[in-house]
Amino acid sequence: MQPRRWGIGLAAGVSALALALAPAMVPQVAPTAQAQNAPAKKVLRIGVTQEVDSLNPYIAIYLLSTNILRTNYDYLTVFGQKNMAPEGALAESWETSPDKLTWTFHMRHGVKWSDGQELTAKDPAFTFNTMLTNETARTANGSYVANFESVTATDPYTLVIKTKKPQATMLGLDVPIVPEHVYSKMKDIGGEPPMPLVGSGPFTVTEFKADQFVKMVANKSYWRGAPKVDEVDFIYYKNSDASVQALRNGEVDLVNKLSATQFDVLKNEPNVTLNNAKDRRFNELVINPGATTSSGEAIGNGNPALKDVALRRAIAQAIDTKTLTQKVYGEYALPGDGSYVPPVFSDFHWTPAPAQSHQFNPTAANAALDAAGYKRGSDGIRLDHSGKPLNLRLLTHSEKPQEQQGAPYIRGWLHDIGINVTIQPLSDNKINEATTAGQFDLTYSGWSSSPDPDNILSLQTCSARPNAQGKGGTPDTFMCDKAYDDLYAQQLAEFDRAKRIDIVKQMQSRLYDNAVNVMLYYDDSLEAYRKDKFASFATQPDPGGTITYQQGYWGYYGAVPAGEGGASNASSQDSGSNTGLILGVIGGVVVIAAVAGVVVARRRKSTADERE
Amino acid sequence: MSDEGVSLKTLSPRALAWQRRGRAAAAAWREFSSSKSGLVGLGVLVLAVLLALLAPVLSNEDGLDVTKATGGRMRPPDGNFWLGTDVDGRSILLLTWWGTRVSLLIGISAALLSVVIGTVIGIIAAHYGRWVSAVLLRIVDFFLVLPSLVLAIALSTVLEPGIGTIIVAIGLTSWPSAARLVRAQTLTVEARPYIERSRALGGGNLHIIVKHVLPAVLPLVFVNATLAVGNAIVAESTLAFLGLGDPFQTSWGGILHNATVDSAALAGAWWYLLPPGVAIGVVVLAFTLCGRALETVLNPRLREPR
Repeated sequence: MQPRRWGIGLAAGVSALALALAPAMVPQVAPTAQAQNAPAKKVLRIGVTQEVDSLNPYIAIYLLSTNILRTNYDYLTVFGQKNMAPEGALAESWETSPDKLTWTFHMRHGVKWSDGQELTAKDPAFTFNTMLTNETARTANGSYVANFESVTATDPYTLVIKTKKPQATMLGLDVPIVPEHVYSKMKDIGGEPPMPLVGSGPFTVTEFKADQFVKMVANKSYWRGAPKVDEVDFIYYKNSDASVQALRNGEVDLVNKLSATQFDVLKNEPNVTLNNAKDRRFNELVINPGATTSSGEAIGNGNPALKDVALRRAIAQAIDTKTLTQKVYGEYALPGDGSYVPPVFSDFHWTPAPAQSHQFNPTAANAALDAAGYKRGSDGIRLDHSGKPLNLRLLTHSEKPQEQQGAPYIRGWLHDIGINVTIQPLSDNKINEATTAGQFDLTYSGWSSSPDPDNILSLQTCSARPNAQGKGGTPDTFMCDKAYDDLYAQQLAEFDRAKRIDIVKQMQSRLYDNAVNVMLYYDDSLEAYRKDKFASFATQPDPGGTITYQQGYWGYYGAVPAGEGGASNASSQDSGSNTGLILGVIGGVVVIAAVAGVVVARRRKSTADERE
Repeated sequence: MSDEGVSLKTLSPRALAWQRRGRAAAAAWREFSSSKSGLVGLGVLVLAVLLALLAPVLSNEDGLDVTKATGGRMRPPDGNFWLGTDVDGRSILLLTWWGTRVSLLIGISAALLSVVIGTVIGIIAAHYGRWVSAVLLRIVDFFLVLPSLVLAIALSTVLEPGIGTIIVAIGLTSWPSAARLVRAQTLTVEARPYIERSRALGGGNLHIIVKHVLPAVLPLVFVNATLAVGNAIVAESTLAFLGLGDPFQTSWGGILHNATVDSAALAGAWWYLLPPGVAIGVVVLAFTLCGRALETVLNPRLREPR
């Protein structure tokens, strides 16, 4: 009587699940004998679930894209592997004028692009000048050049950058240097560069299929020396469980961004090494303190009661970040301790003094609200000063399981202090629209900090607020605090590291007192790799850091295949002819993608908060 | 026959009609109860509905609140938690039990919505014929060829998440087959002489539809609705499994969605996946068994050749 299409729908869903599980039951393919004469190619295969938005470094903002481009193009200076302190890369040395307004970079000699052309000071000059003259070219990294006056190559090995005001972040310019002889010929600077990419990093991209794979081959003439592996493949999986299965079966060598459950499952795998790294990301609950535009007019529809700092502090005090972290991440995250800079950057990390702290204490929160005159109504919900019950909306990213899991906890705890919370899961894009226009009361948010925290500190300044249309800014909390902004300007012009650290800590204290956000947790980056294929990787920082998604290219460049340096090269032979296997993997991925595609296509879009 | 002759003299036409209906119902029940599978289905349904209604009485809703969960993280079944716990430490048994409420509510509401839309469109198309029929049938065809899952996903993405949205999304996508069915039945009913007689006696369109056509097609609609509930429950579970349901309402599809998101399959947590899956299977089967039994009772026209 009725078509059974629904049945097919569920069956498709179930079979997608089954497909994801199927490899568990398939016995592992025995390594095939390789042709004895040809030396085996050593390939690092990385299973990823993130997308690549573009391979044009002027445009790309997604986490995976920027990470790939970081490996493809070298920088003037990079963040070091051990302690993330800036060190020379394409620029060998540098000096500044006494007024700190002129920076002279001396370029390394004899560095070649992967197509054999020499890399000179003209290339960085072209890179920066394109960004200064073309708005499209400023899409991804525009903030780094906002303060630039001029950039000139005075000779092939000397680059002079003049800034309008002193800028303390000049050694942390996270801008890939592109080859002038390729990019000057591109008609559209926002278009995709021709394949294979011409690069100066340890690996260069030779092939890219959207939502399938990115293939990078070793740059044998890399100035630091050729990498130990010949090829790095990023293989795309729609479903992170499928990528974990692929690792179990040896179809990929490295996976990242694992969940606590996945990480625990892999603990029992004999051939897998786990890497539990402290990450550079913070997750916060933003409390809308009365959003305003850059010209100071009110914007959005935040609950006006939240303008009261006493109420915001009580909210912060009602949230048990320790339990939340434990429930959502198990042992794989640090609970929020009030520091805005993630603990991995121990220099800048700050914690409130006990007297200043508003850590979890519902009794104190209730007492504070009673004292501030928020009386409870008959249903136990407190009334604001105009007599309306305190009803707050909490926006969550519907595609983030941790937020879906955690939001009911926050609702429960706020209910305990007499605040009613409605949870509104929204797509990433809708959340971005709503939060940029101030249309929220409470929202989940999170950012990745650079080793230099300037990028996250700037989010809380008055100038980060949007215009009247809700555009042209990257507001996080909409805080506009003169004392904070003064400190921000001060730290940007402070070249004494110790003094700068002190100012940054004062800023965090100021931010904490304003209680416009609650630091929820700093989640670890969970990674796992096949120890039968790879002996070690270079983590950043070392020890305890990540392999993938670093602020640099150390992880892939420092990959050591198993058995390397030993008497025999036995273990590398089975990673030989991978093309067939990779094609097989890709085939499997395509099948899963086709089944799950319709639904999942609109998800997983990385958003501003995954930006670098 | 003589009995009826007596009744004719003593009872009003209305009472007579009710008496006839009562006899028909009794006959129908006899016919229905002769179908063992139908009885089993009905028993399961009564049980499911009772469990759903009594959940707040027999169990404590606090067990659904994550902040009050007492179990460990994804623990296998033991003496305290007969079906194990989910990632927050809540009892899977309790979640599945409470899931019955949402799944049944959405299943029945969505099926009713789709059958009401289908019946109205089907009757109007058949009764008015000509261009009305042509236009309506093209609309029906349009919805019929659209993959309903894709359409429902699109709808539930655009609308605010919630139970109402899911009901609308399923209801709006599954009515065309009901419309086709009702139209066909209406055409055969309207071809009968008593419709023509009613028209000759001055009966208007509304009178004919409400008094003559609707009662004649209702049994078919009823059967159709019973079968549609099963489909609607599967549809609801599918949407919830895909993460399009109301994440703060416990439903079977929602539990399966959580299990997938929490990598339950990867971790081998079968107790997280099986109970809601079995519940969906059993209840849908029960509705189908009931529907098939009703179908053979109320509408022999649709009986499959045996």
